[in-house]
Amino acid sequence: MRRFFAELSALVVCAALCAAVSNYLAGRERKLTPVGRYPNAQVVPQPAQDPAPGPAPSTPPAAPAPVAAASSPGPVPAGATTSLPAPPTRAIPSGSPSAKGGAGAPAAPEPLPGVPSGESLLSRFPPHPDRPFAEVSGTDALWAHSAGVPFLDARRTKVYEEGHVVGARSFSVWESDVDQKVFALQDEVPAKDRPVVLYCSGGECEDSHMLAEKLFGAGFVNALVYRDGWPDWQKRGGPSRSGPRP
Amino acid sequence: MTARGVLGHPWLTVRVQILLGAVFIVAALPKIADPPSFAHMIYNYRMLPGALVNGAGLFLPWFELLTGVALVLGIWRRTASSAIGILLLLFIVSIGFNLIRGNPIDCGCFDVSAAGRSVEERFQDMGWVIARDVGMLLLVGQSLWSERLSPGRAAQPDQGA
Repeated sequence: MRRFFAELSALVVCAALCAAVSNYLAGRERKLTPVGRYPNAQVVPQPAQDPAPGPAPSTPPAAPAPVAAASSPGPVPAGATTSLPAPPTRAIPSGSPSAKGGAGAPAAPEPLPGVPSGESLLSRFPPHPDRPFAEVSGTDALWAHSAGVPFLDARRTKVYEEGHVVGARSFSVWESDVDQKVFALQDEVPAKDRPVVLYCSGGECEDSHMLAEKLFGAGFVNALVYRDGWPDWQKRGGPSRSGPRP
Repeated sequence: MTARGVLGHPWLTVRVQILLGAVFIVAALPKIADPPSFAHMIYNYRMLPGALVNGAGLFLPWFELLTGVALVLGIWRRTASSAIGILLLLFIVSIGFNLIRGNPIDCGCFDVSAAGRSVEERFQDMGWVIARDVGMLLLVGQSLWSERLSPGRAAQPDQGA
């Protein structure tokens, strides 16, 4: 019996060592943090800039759709967290509510025609500081995309590279660098009440909900979970792209 | 030859152990190649505390691989068979528990990619997986029983393969 336990212990120790070494050597997409935080997805390991969940929603930021408007549509490598790309499509889809063309918005970059002001974005997608996310339909997602709302893809990077919403960034909750991406997003997006659309594979996929909880923990109070996700986006013919570029 | 003699014959035991080991090696490789996907599968079982999900996702595939290699090579056969038996019992209980409580999961046994199957297909697969694991558990039982009858005999080439 002693021999049995000695051999079993040796197998366990060897497996643990192999797991630790392989995880240490693994690339970004394959690496796992040794301790998971999934039920506690709201826990962000470093102190966030806005630890309280939610600035007052009644303080609209000065710039309309500031994140997308200030970014460049140039190629950004997968996982890059330097700037949010602007979606190339700027036209409001037919059937969407009329936008007020950025009236009274003193944005540094001239707002493109048809892009709604921050106020109209917030009126359509009001912040929800009491809960991590609000679910939105495909119609809302298409409208938000054309309005320049940033999109985050919560699926695995390899799935993201097979096809994603144009402009969306890879933010897989299962990869070890998701916290760093959240920190970078915190730095980029000073106004945490601006809408951010999150999606994954639709159906029973919960990755976007988990990402929303993580963002909520980081102070974002207007995460919009695109309920039907990528399959619905494809069905609706929304702008998409494959490869690492957002 | 009696049924006891046939079931405990080293010829059969060696093949059973190689088969079990090979199955566990094949099952471990995709999980080792993509730990986050396997951790996701474990999370979907809704049985482990979240803090342990990643650790299990990293450790289990290597444990499967090492026990499988041990069985194929004929090293520590009794221990490796027992470990595989414990893993199979764990899988059967986990999948059975989720089947009973109506949580459709992909078992993540040999493939860690999201298969995109319907709820009905998943429930059906879970039943098949339990049946398959019970079958493999019987093979583990044969291996352990044979080892108990004649410890170390299956490893001898002249009596084994």
